[in-house]
Amino acid sequence: MKEYTYIGKDVVRIDGLEKISGAAIYGDDIDFGANLLHAELVSSTEAHAIIKSIDISEALKVKGVYKIFTGKDFPYKFGLYMKDRFIFAQDKVRFVGEQIAAVVARNPGAAKRAAALIKVEYEPLPAVLDQMQALADGATLLHPDLENYPHVPWFFPKPGTNIAHWRKTRKGDMKGGFNEADFILEDTYTVPRYAHCAIETHVAIGKFDYSGRLTVWSSSQSPHTQRHLFAEALGLGHKDVRVIAPHVGGGFGGKAGVTMEIIPAALATKLKGYAVKLRYSREQEFINTYQRLGVVAKLKMGVTKEGRITALDHKIYWDAGAYVEYGANVVNAVGLSAIGPYRIDNISIDSVCVYTNLPPGGAYRGFGYSEMLFGLESHVTRVANELGIDQIEFRRKNAIKVGDTTAYGAKMNPNGLLECIDKVVKAIDWGNKPAPTNPNTVIGNGFSLFWKAPAMPPNASSSAFLKFNEDASINLIISGMDIGQGYQTVMAQIAAEILSVPPSKIRVETPDTDRNPYEWQTVASHITWSSGNAVKKAAIDAREQILSLVQRVFNLPLEELYLEDEAVKCTQDPSFNLPLKSFVVDGIMTKDGTFKGGPINARGMFMPEFSSANGDPETSQGGHPNVHYTVGAAALTLEIDKDTGKMRVLKTALAIDAGKALNPDLVRGQITGGMLQGLATVLYEDMRYDSKGKLLNPNFTDYKIPTAMDVPDEIIPIIVEVPQPDGPFGARGIGEHTMLPAAPMVANAVEDALGLRIKSMPITAEKVAMAYLASKKQ
Amino acid sequence: MSIAHEFNYERPQNLHSVLELKDSYRNKAFIYAGGTDLVVNIKEGLVKPELLIDIKDLAELHKLCLDNGTLYIGASVTFTELIDTEFVKQACPMLHDACKTVASTGVRSRATLAGNICSAVPSLDSATPLLCYQAVVHCANTEGVRNIPISEWFLAPRKTAIKDNEMVTGISLKIPKETSTSVYLKLGRYGGEDLAQAGWGIWMNTANQYRIAHCALAPIPSRAALIEALLNGKELSQELIEAAVALIPNEINPITDIRSSKEYRLHVSGVMLKRGLLAAKDRLEGKEIEPAKLLGGIA
Amino acid sequence: MKEISFVLNNEERSVSVEANEVLLDVLREKLGVKSPKCGCERGDCGACTVLLDGKAVRSCLVLAIEVENHRITTVEGISAEKLSALQEAFIQFNAFQCGYCAPGIILAVTELLLQHPHPSLEQIKESMAGNLCRCTGYSPIFDAIMALTKVEQHADAAENVTSQDQHPALPNVEGK
Repeated sequence: MKEYTYIGKDVVRIDGLEKISGAAIYGDDIDFGANLLHAELVSSTEAHAIIKSIDISEALKVKGVYKIFTGKDFPYKFGLYMKDRFIFAQDKVRFVGEQIAAVVARNPGAAKRAAALIKVEYEPLPAVLDQMQALADGATLLHPDLENYPHVPWFFPKPGTNIAHWRKTRKGDMKGGFNEADFILEDTYTVPRYAHCAIETHVAIGKFDYSGRLTVWSSSQSPHTQRHLFAEALGLGHKDVRVIAPHVGGGFGGKAGVTMEIIPAALATKLKGYAVKLRYSREQEFINTYQRLGVVAKLKMGVTKEGRITALDHKIYWDAGAYVEYGANVVNAVGLSAIGPYRIDNISIDSVCVYTNLPPGGAYRGFGYSEMLFGLESHVTRVANELGIDQIEFRRKNAIKVGDTTAYGAKMNPNGLLECIDKVVKAIDWGNKPAPTNPNTVIGNGFSLFWKAPAMPPNASSSAFLKFNEDASINLIISGMDIGQGYQTVMAQIAAEILSVPPSKIRVETPDTDRNPYEWQTVASHITWSSGNAVKKAAIDAREQILSLVQRVFNLPLEELYLEDEAVKCTQDPSFNLPLKSFVVDGIMTKDGTFKGGPINARGMFMPEFSSANGDPETSQGGHPNVHYTVGAAALTLEIDKDTGKMRVLKTALAIDAGKALNPDLVRGQITGGMLQGLATVLYEDMRYDSKGKLLNPNFTDYKIPTAMDVPDEIIPIIVEVPQPDGPFGARGIGEHTMLPAAPMVANAVEDALGLRIKSMPITAEKVAMAYLASKKQ
Repeated sequence: MSIAHEFNYERPQNLHSVLELKDSYRNKAFIYAGGTDLVVNIKEGLVKPELLIDIKDLAELHKLCLDNGTLYIGASVTFTELIDTEFVKQACPMLHDACKTVASTGVRSRATLAGNICSAVPSLDSATPLLCYQAVVHCANTEGVRNIPISEWFLAPRKTAIKDNEMVTGISLKIPKETSTSVYLKLGRYGGEDLAQAGWGIWMNTANQYRIAHCALAPIPSRAALIEALLNGKELSQELIEAAVALIPNEINPITDIRSSKEYRLHVSGVMLKRGLLAAKDRLEGKEIEPAKLLGGIA
Repeated sequence: MKEISFVLNNEERSVSVEANEVLLDVLREKLGVKSPKCGCERGDCGACTVLLDGKAVRSCLVLAIEVENHRITTVEGISAEKLSALQEAFIQFNAFQCGYCAPGIILAVTELLLQHPHPSLEQIKESMAGNLCRCTGYSPIFDAIMALTKVEQHADAAENVTSQDQHPALPNVEGK
């Protein structure tokens, strides 16, 4: 294997100095001077109601209030994959927290005082607060005019119901598969909603200047997608909309697409000359941004007594919330992949996106796969145990391999799933357990596999510009977002490897859609792969420009020229050494005093041209909707206090096939971070709603995210590298995947320790203790 | 978030001025020390004071001393100061334990014990040592001082015996002369800071006397009189502990809320009482215990 | 509106404030100091941590008007000349991701290191338990601090905090 200089090395992050010295600028840090206005929202207190009237008269009297806007000012629909949302509620509200009006004032205090004085009169409608209720006959319809909503061609809404999209995947002969089975296990698993909890809340500032151009500064994973949706919704040309994305204080999917950013963008168009800022409070962050969707999953799996899976019937009902313009694609993605990383010939998957009167569901790290895997990987362990086959052996036997067909009929990409299993088994010392630390506790081991593909439209693309400076330093101009994962550093490493310039001499800034080239979004764990390919192409373009210039000026054969240590060198002439800084801007002077060449400016682009969403609506067969899957395995050793139910992770190991870990330390960082986020969703996080659809815990006091006290005693990150043929240096994405196995492996460990199967998340100490207590009484 | 509500701020240089202000503003004036509760409540519109009276310039309110068996804690003494003071830990282990479970370091460096008891929430960790050490809350107004036994301090959730022209100047705890010890056990939902799902404080001495208090298990933090009566004078034994645990349903009145179900609170109280009694006994015998780890879940 | 003076990052500053302005907003909006971040506004997340006379406090819960004549230190203050050894360790260990919580955590740990130059893992966890980080899983932060503080020559890891910050006012303690 080729030895790389920068690829595969633990290069120190290039954004470190900025972030650690306090220099990094986030959305709320930008100064806008004296003409900045502040917006505050009026939010629905009803889960489902007709808005009868909005009285703003008292609010207008508050000193400092500039203007007040309501739905009638912005009768535009918008949405990423399905246009089912309005900027402000029109005639109806569909969830508690939905924005109804905005007060714009000179200072945030006045805006807030005035917003509290706006009186909204409602005529309540029956609310549907869970997906099974919404699917029942006679359920109130959230969107009676669903048939008129524009959407992407691969969505299949069912007008006259609350079903916004129904992804069906069928393969083989399911009935035959179950007939062939010696054993069938059928059960239901449930997963509640979750919040992203980036520490930075959403913030966006819109400015519509006197020349009629709109600039939006926003904390975003998707600046180009935002520009596109703003232009579409507000009727502006793309060249007249500019999105500037500063550093993002955590994304996790919550800042993908467009949520609240459209509000200041729209407000700005009616406030010419001013900048208008909307910064969400923590409470607003909890009640009116995308949330992870809730799930009820009904699983039926058939197996032979030798342990071969013969059939899988997987029905997943998603609580997608009041608007599903982004969330429906979560449903779609899982509907194509709900077999997990297994080779199964006979399959039926129904992934059903259901409108409910709760906040809109959307992208959340894992994009539905965590929810799906909780049921599937719990079920797999149970099936293996019922058969009396070791669960690891059962997983090995059924693991999907390169060339096997996926649920939708395409071929599985090269992968190191078996190697991941073996390495985790070894790291966790599977089969052995440490002795409990005291008489009140018991120990359990849990295991889980995971997989996930990027969920993207088939034409999602990335691009890169690269320009050299006089000293041979480089500005790499790209539009993915470093939301913490280390994107900027890894892209710099790719350019560095091709161009022999150290990453510390490469500057990567956060994007500005006016100046940076197109990028679809920083989501789906696709950015290392997709943007990485674009950067690599741009760097190769620059190298070709450099080498062909040197060939032209020095008459050296192109095939003998190469880059090393920031210089052009020649394989046949060791004395030839032309430093890049001598010519990459100024050109090369020839004998007659003329200069050849000029500034090196390069470009690269990547689009997965093999991808297609043209599957059959009834079976999903025929297309190639997923570009590839990233796979892995994980296990943990859990100590449980039988009486309090409190759990402590003694040790956990996670192996992931990164294809090629471009920066291993950053991969390990994703594993430790993702693991803790995943463990929190199973051990204590939980969005709790009352019977009227109001969130009971919209703060960190009662929605608990992990602290330094909640870290597992030992986390063992394991990197496996089976190259992705079309990835940059063989790399594929790993960011979301690191939280996928947490929930099922905890459930499996609890059963291993106590003999109790818990089928609903979260698996809190209380739930474990009460289940154990009940089991003792039986 | 900027604070939408507007108010005035005074920082008097003597106690008399504080009391004069409090007397003229009554419940429109709030005493301001750490502000960790008060500022949140103002931000969220739960209180709307006209005046905040900052007492942090008054040295007499920042007194922390142990004298003749009385531990005196001034109104502006913070949780961090209590935790870091060795004689507090020695004299009143349960108070040390409880203070360590309140919020996190960045909050504890400002939050005061006096402010804490004024919030009078049912889950008040610090109430259990005060109940077991028979604390007295010293209140003052322009007329004079009033010493309120802690047993009469909590009236209802978020309601105390203080009058609207009074302030708390300090809290005294009675430190027994005989050999005794105490422990506080708190159950939260995870390893980090949390409001108690349940809290149990246990005091005992070498003469087999017991004082037991709980929080988050009834409308106000309370002593467990029935259990104390059962235990007093008896050596701890497996049977005795089981008998004490059996009294719990008669002693507490928990509710179901976002943090816990009523059933879990009832169940886990038995576990906590049992482990707490054993831990107190261990401490009395000079053994090191780590209260935070006694309920599991933490390394 | 009242004019107050205090020492901000070793410099005497004056600013006019209303009684209801919190320190976080005044630092950010009126004094141009942006490293303390707003994350929850109610003391739960620690992103707004600053040092007040050497003690880590939540600037979202401190009224600006009361810091008159006190000392406030933010990450800008400890980074002015050169990064502290602690900050260098954060960079070397990739002990941050999005970076939003980093200023608060650095200050919380700086306070710890002023008191305990060689803290145990338990003390490290305790000192930053009130600072939420959603990205890193905390482990790389522990690694950075442990690696730094076990090395003798870096014992003074909080070296950029001035000596005045190291002697916060103590209560009037009389133990017997």
